[in-house]
Amino acid sequence: MNLRSREPLIFDRSVPGKVGLDLPKLDVPPAKDTRPAHLKRHGFDALPSCSEPEVIRHFTKMSMWNYGMDQGMYPLGSCTMKHNPRLNEKVAGLSGFAESHPMAPSTLVQGNLALIYTLQEWLKEITGLAAVTLQPSAGAAGELTGVMLIRAYHLSRGRKRRAILIPDSAHGTNPATAAMAGYEVVDVASAADGTVSFEDITDAVTGRVKKGLLAVIAEHKEDIAGLMVTNPNTLGIFEHRIDEICKCIHEVGGLVYMDGANMNALVGVARPGDFGIDVMHMNLHKTMSTPHGGGGPGAGPVLCTAALEPFLPKPIVVRDTEKVGEGEVPHHTYRWDWERPQSIGKVHSYYGNFGMLVRALTYCLSHGGDGLRTATLRAIVNANYIRHELEGVYNLPIKTASMHEVVFNDAIQAHHDVHTLDIAKRLIDYGFHPPTIYFPMVVSGALMIEPTESESKEELDAFVHAMKMIAQEAEETPDLLHQAPVTAPLRRLDETTAARKPVLRWTKALV
Amino acid sequence: MALGQLGFFMRYLPTAPAEDRALLDAIGVARAEDLLTGVPDHLKLHRPLDLPPTSSELEVLREMQRLAELNTRFRTRFLGAGAYAHFLPSAIDHQISRQEWFTAYTPYQPEISQGTLQHIFEYQTLICDLTGLDVTNASLYDGGTSCLEAALMAVRVQKKRNKVLVSAGLHPHYLAVMRAGFAPHAELELVEVALVKGATDPVDLATKLDDTVAAVLVGYPNFLGAIEDVQALSELAHAKGALLISVTMEAMAFGWLEGPGKVGADLACGEAMSFGNTTNFGGPFLGFLAVKDAFKRELPGRVVGQTKDLEGRTGYVLTLTAREQHIRRDKATSNICSNQGLIALRANIFLQLAGPEGLKGLAEQNVAKAQYLRERLLELPDWEVPFEAPYFNEFPLRFTGDLKAMNESLIAEGILPGLDLTPYGHTNCILWCATEINTRHQIEHLIEVLARVASVVG
Repeated sequence: MNLRSREPLIFDRSVPGKVGLDLPKLDVPPAKDTRPAHLKRHGFDALPSCSEPEVIRHFTKMSMWNYGMDQGMYPLGSCTMKHNPRLNEKVAGLSGFAESHPMAPSTLVQGNLALIYTLQEWLKEITGLAAVTLQPSAGAAGELTGVMLIRAYHLSRGRKRRAILIPDSAHGTNPATAAMAGYEVVDVASAADGTVSFEDITDAVTGRVKKGLLAVIAEHKEDIAGLMVTNPNTLGIFEHRIDEICKCIHEVGGLVYMDGANMNALVGVARPGDFGIDVMHMNLHKTMSTPHGGGGPGAGPVLCTAALEPFLPKPIVVRDTEKVGEGEVPHHTYRWDWERPQSIGKVHSYYGNFGMLVRALTYCLSHGGDGLRTATLRAIVNANYIRHELEGVYNLPIKTASMHEVVFNDAIQAHHDVHTLDIAKRLIDYGFHPPTIYFPMVVSGALMIEPTESESKEELDAFVHAMKMIAQEAEETPDLLHQAPVTAPLRRLDETTAARKPVLRWTKALV
Repeated sequence: MALGQLGFFMRYLPTAPAEDRALLDAIGVARAEDLLTGVPDHLKLHRPLDLPPTSSELEVLREMQRLAELNTRFRTRFLGAGAYAHFLPSAIDHQISRQEWFTAYTPYQPEISQGTLQHIFEYQTLICDLTGLDVTNASLYDGGTSCLEAALMAVRVQKKRNKVLVSAGLHPHYLAVMRAGFAPHAELELVEVALVKGATDPVDLATKLDDTVAAVLVGYPNFLGAIEDVQALSELAHAKGALLISVTMEAMAFGWLEGPGKVGADLACGEAMSFGNTTNFGGPFLGFLAVKDAFKRELPGRVVGQTKDLEGRTGYVLTLTAREQHIRRDKATSNICSNQGLIALRANIFLQLAGPEGLKGLAEQNVAKAQYLRERLLELPDWEVPFEAPYFNEFPLRFTGDLKAMNESLIAEGILPGLDLTPYGHTNCILWCATEINTRHQIEHLIEVLARVASVVG
């Protein structure tokens, strides 16, 4: 990283008269100005004037300040940073898909409908659930859709239920979603390993009693619309009493929502439908490796039981099969079904992030059923290898068996005044993206490491080595860690001032 | 081969059998399955998934090409209705294919995510510039969900007001998304305002405005292509203390129309897929929401801000996070986390290439092509004007002939016609769209085919 690689804002590069996009000479009469006078565009304050080579260099230089998946391990726990196959990108760009129009009659988009139908069949088999919508754009949108299904289900039975139970180890989107869907959130105590506690838990320090599942159910009974649970949970631990949890909730007429953010630990190994789960989402940008894109787009399909199927968002793909003679290949046609009177409506303007669905099906076809299961097992082996190699070097606060990720904390390094943030930032100097830090909150100073199946033994060993070096530095030269990162384009950034005096866009006055 | 045995090899899995053995030996288990001690046996799947086996890259490519080719291809397209076919500069696909952009996660670690963060800061600047407002976020999912987020935000800002008025001129799918999102909130009310001559009826709006109304949503341009008078409507709304939210589903119109914030809108939301994307069967698209500065702490979603590092150098971070789900949980402004990052990048590259001259030129060509298309259509005997309203690149015309036969003839000629508005309450109307990619030749070909059909049908 040399000094020339520092890249100013494009607005400081703009020179009037330059243009990076041109058009054919207008081949029809020029536009007549039919605008109401007060709605005429008066110009732009920021839009820059630059040529194509300058814009390309600008973005290329900025990109060099990013860390990407092809540079090395990206062990962000719960984010599932796995390899992004290039075939998937190529296929999503096929003009047959890319140029298809969402408002075109379904007879003109048979390939898209066949693709959606096929991906739905894969996801149903993977999860063991009966029905599915691919409309939600991301995990959080999937959660909201799922909880809206729960609400519609109760209303159709004349029940007004107000409460959604959520274990306190849950991801923040769960309570945010329940609130967006009009529910009151009722906390359920988690055991030390983050799993749902059936019994009350007394906080050792404060003496405060948090209600376990049984007490919460006894208190709220028929007011319980459902429970949201992440499995494996945010500590990478399988919720081992998940079937009993479902049973307890079902007994009071509630439904169970599973946050499938960690479904990549279960594919081919266990199926939520077999546990008694009623509704769940999957993050295709995690489990099926559609690229994260620096913050999206994702895709958050929702799967549910037959009982919830009538409420799914509109429209639904229907396959009609023409009867054919014996031994002939049946001919399928596909159409949208909009006549769904109990549907919750729409959760996306069209049919979801279709380009992501193309990539996800490509991923599924490449792996096959056998490859998907192997990927799951490899991810679990890799996480457990890291756990084994680093246990003792870093504190492993919870000893329950890990699935696809492992959570350490800074308890050992804290003796040298080195904390999770310092460890994470020092990993940057060793050429790795840091793990997820300070989450889940049930572990103080959490370092949540998820290697995924994409890492070779060589890369895992390099990561383990870096972590051991950092542990040694914590003892010998702790200030080195407080200063980290020192090799990144920038040092630690002042987030407090950023929030207190927000500068959220460039303005001329800023120059 | 045993179930999921680790000897299984495919091109994306990097561990050789001997290395598998070494990993398992180090952990101290015989088989990978032995690590599943946390999963009770009765909850495990004791059979292979009933799915096809792994396939080579070439086989998968062939299958996906087969599916892509099942879609009908068109040489010429006149369909918009929220998803617009525009010119796509070659630089965009090249740039976003850099692994630094498309494989990266949300920029949680700013020291090694400055590329994404600076890009979002620039993108935010441009969305504010186009909309004439002060603050925006890193993106929302799409036009429909942006309307829902904007309306919910307006209700939060406008305490004690629980009603949202929404123009019947919004895209019907956006309305459907809003209805679904409002349904769980018994305390909130969503009321439609009627149209007159294709635009929001000011009389009906005035009747429905009272001190319980938090906000009014109007299209700019609307679903029927009409350019709503945002200024006049905002004056009506403001007089009753309501906010005006403009909804733009064709962001290219910002090259021709004043930023809604400059003519009275308090919030501007909508769809910006037109900047550097294909129609992509409706997604991934690019929702946006820009607001006045006073509302910034009620914005949903990720926001990037400028700051300094330890050595005083300028840098960028995710900020105002106290609004978000990971801090506020059930009190958050929204549950959104993943948004449309890479699509915002496409839009940012597009806008920087276009610049003020390019965007103005694009917009003017859209208007010129649409005006030419409309004039030529109206020269035919069986097309009528349902109402007169100023438009950008889209307008409805009523067809007096056999609409089904007309549509079929166009499709047979490789022309994708405009949207049949019959299911949306405008019987026998077609919503025609022309953009800079439609040539005079294409328009003339369309007219030729229509004239031929008319003489056959008539």
